[in-house]
Amino acid sequence: MRIYGMQVHHLIEECIVFNMGKEECMDALFKHANIKPIITSTVWKELEKENKEFFEAYERRREEIPTEKETARRIRDLLSRTTI
Amino acid sequence: MLALSPASNSTGDDCNGESEFLATSCGFSIEPEEEFPDFADHGDLLDIIDFDDLFGVAGDVLPDLEIDPDILAGDFSDHMNASSTVTTTSSSSEKTDGQGETNNKGVSGKGEEVVSKRDDGETAVAETVNYNGDSDRKRKYPSSGSSRNNRITNNEGKRKVKVDWTPELHRRFVEAVEQLGVEKAVPSRILELMGVHCLTRHNVASHLQKYRSHRKHLLAREAEAANWTRKRHIYGLDCTGANNINGRNKNGWLAPAPTIGFPPPPPVAVAPPPVHHHHFRPLHVWGHPTVDQSVMPHVWPKHLPPPSTAMASPPFWVSDSPYWPRVHNGTTPYLPTVASRFRAPPVAGIPQALPPHHLVYKPDHGFGGARAPVDLHPSKESVDAAIGDVLTRPWLPLPLGLKPPAVDGVMTELHRQGVSEVPPTASCA
Repeated sequence: MRIYGMQVHHLIEECIVFNMGKEECMDALFKHANIKPIITSTVWKELEKENKEFFEAYERRREEIPTEKETARRIRDLLSRTTI
Repeated sequence: MLALSPASNSTGDDCNGESEFLATSCGFSIEPEEEFPDFADHGDLLDIIDFDDLFGVAGDVLPDLEIDPDILAGDFSDHMNASSTVTTTSSSSEKTDGQGETNNKGVSGKGEEVVSKRDDGETAVAETVNYNGDSDRKRKYPSSGSSRNNRITNNEGKRKVKVDWTPELHRRFVEAVEQLGVEKAVPSRILELMGVHCLTRHNVASHLQKYRSHRKHLLAREAEAANWTRKRHIYGLDCTGANNINGRNKNGWLAPAPTIGFPPPPPVAVAPPPVHHHHFRPLHVWGHPTVDQSVMPHVWPKHLPPPSTAMASPPFWVSDSPYWPRVHNGTTPYLPTVASRFRAPPVAGIPQALPPHHLVYKPDHGFGGARAPVDLHPSKESVDAAIGDVLTRPWLPLPLGLKPPAVDGVMTELHRQGVSEVPPTASCA
């Protein structure tokens, strides 16, 4: 169990590197590693409890992603219109 | 690994004296699964000592067929001629058992045909015997001719074939397992994939079992290492740049990192493309950091994962991990790989890397992940590769180094949710 839990923990961390949310993570781990979503969700919640600040910051950052996308789009747009 | 115990155990009653002697001379005692050889005053210790027990668990080894024919060719003439002599001499010299049943633990290759044939005085058997025994013997010690045959021919009735898991053999084994998937690997399929004829399914099965158990130990060590490195990052390291919150790459060094967000590739002759390949390559052989830089295929019992310096208090997951071999020799090829990975987080994943106005965030918690340019839409392949990487290379450090939750908490939560069996699928996770 320990090892398994550790694996799930590791996998979740990798998903976080990809800026995934909990649901996306559950989905991905189930699809790619055959881990029951309920297990992923439980480990995620426990990790969240244990690393509260991190997850708070993480969520805030994730909220900004749409605005980042928009900004990126705008910049690209601007660049494409620029002629030198 | 081996069933060794500190010089105390002697299973054979009829050879206490000898075993003690052995224990003193060799520093350990041997726990053979069969009756201990009945030693006479031979002084032929090399023959007496059951090296197969030293180097492998009985029952899962076979003589290495590739080498044997040569040995056989050399030996045969001697043995064939001496077979009858062997038989006689063995019965007289070989310890007391008339059937040659008990002793001959000193010889590795055991085959029942040997015993029976010896009785018959068949030369054919002597061949087999020599073949079985000498294959290993010859490689390790010069054959002492008939005396060696004695041991061999005096084999027990039980079949005890030993496989010498050479690095090459093990590499093929690992390849096959990787291909099938560690948890799904079935000995019969592994055997097919390996295409080695001298292995029985049983050999592969027991080797697989050991391999899996070894992997678990590595997982444990990795977790501990990750925790340790995380702490290191927090307390010792300077931020030389990393991706800030907006995803801009402040550190040119990170630029080559793949967009899947992994630390820079290992230093040994690696450019970004190999790393990409690395992540996308499903057949990565456990035990070889990358194909390019594989220095020598480690036979896994000797293999030690790179984070040999991990010393932090073990995270909850691994508090019961007993396995702690540490190797600081520079020969392990993993060090470069891991070193690079460890190096990356310090540079890239420091709490200070994140603009303070963005995150109110205590450094204690060590946001240690290297952030490549934010991949807002991680591709399926990269996710798959990352996940596969975790499963196949469990020694890799955790990218973030989050504090692991208490196992009990997780377990109770799981039970609350109605999950009874964890892990649900794996038989040995």
